[in-house]
Amino acid sequence: MNLPTNPFVSNDGKKPTCMEMLQLILDGQDSQEQREYFKNHMDNCMPCFKGYHVDMTIKELLKSKCCGGEAPDELVAKIKSQIASTIS
Amino acid sequence: MEEVVRQHYTDKEKREIFDHEFLPHINSMYNFGYRLTLDRDDAKDLVQDTYFKAFRFIESFQKGTNAKAWLFRILKNSFINDYRKKVKEPNKVDYQEVEQYYNSEDVDRQITPDLRVDALKDMIGDEISNALNALDVDFRTVIILCDLEGFKYEEMAKILDIPIGTVRSRLHRARQLLKEKLSEYAKSMGYKNS
Ligand SMILES: [Zn+2]
Repeated sequence: MNLPTNPFVSNDGKKPTCMEMLQLILDGQDSQEQREYFKNHMDNCMPCFKGYHVDMTIKELLKSKCCGGEAPDELVAKIKSQIASTIS
Repeated sequence: MEEVVRQHYTDKEKREIFDHEFLPHINSMYNFGYRLTLDRDDAKDLVQDTYFKAFRFIESFQKGTNAKAWLFRILKNSFINDYRKKVKEPNKVDYQEVEQYYNSEDVDRQITPDLRVDALKDMIGDEISNALNALDVDFRTVIILCDLEGFKYEEMAKILDIPIGTVRSRLHRARQLLKEKLSEYAKSMGYKNS
């Protein structure tokens, strides 16, 4: 049986580790082909399966808990007036 | 770094670029400043200084290109050159060690802190924010850029002036450290390692 070629293999022929593949998937910097390959791989690789769900959850938590705040109004006002005085 | 091509803008154009391309990123910039300094006042100073520099050097910015990455790079440089000098930096990270760690054959067998999704879902307070803030600033930075702000590896490499390989290895290590912190929280919340 022929295994599908691994689209994560780099030009120099270096085989990627699970962790390297997972990182690309997680950060959305994979190709369609790589995504398909990884889906299959995850079904047979427990560490990747677990890692994917944990890492994805952390990524979502970070996004929802650590950003979204607003810059203070006085800061915005200060910056605007500083620029206005530079121009005129 | 690519060559900087100097642009020529009228005052009106400068003003437009500033208002429409720079200012819309103010909230992300403030959050970046705060996450780096961990101090609201220092964050304000840093952001104000960054916008001032951005305006002064506006002619090295090409209209319509990635303003956010450009601004983040200025803020990061101001942080390193101005702010970090004032504040004593504790431990320096040994990047060579990080690189070797990442490239080693054992990389898939390394011990990853055991964390469960249900434990993470229970972290509804400041746990994640505190865990992030507790990381060494260089590790914190890559997580902010990647996970909070959604920059691509290539953009991160430019913002930080490091190769993409280093971005990826540093990011990997940062996530490991973050997971260690989170698994401590999980344990204190009564979750046992599975
Ligand atoms: Zn795997």
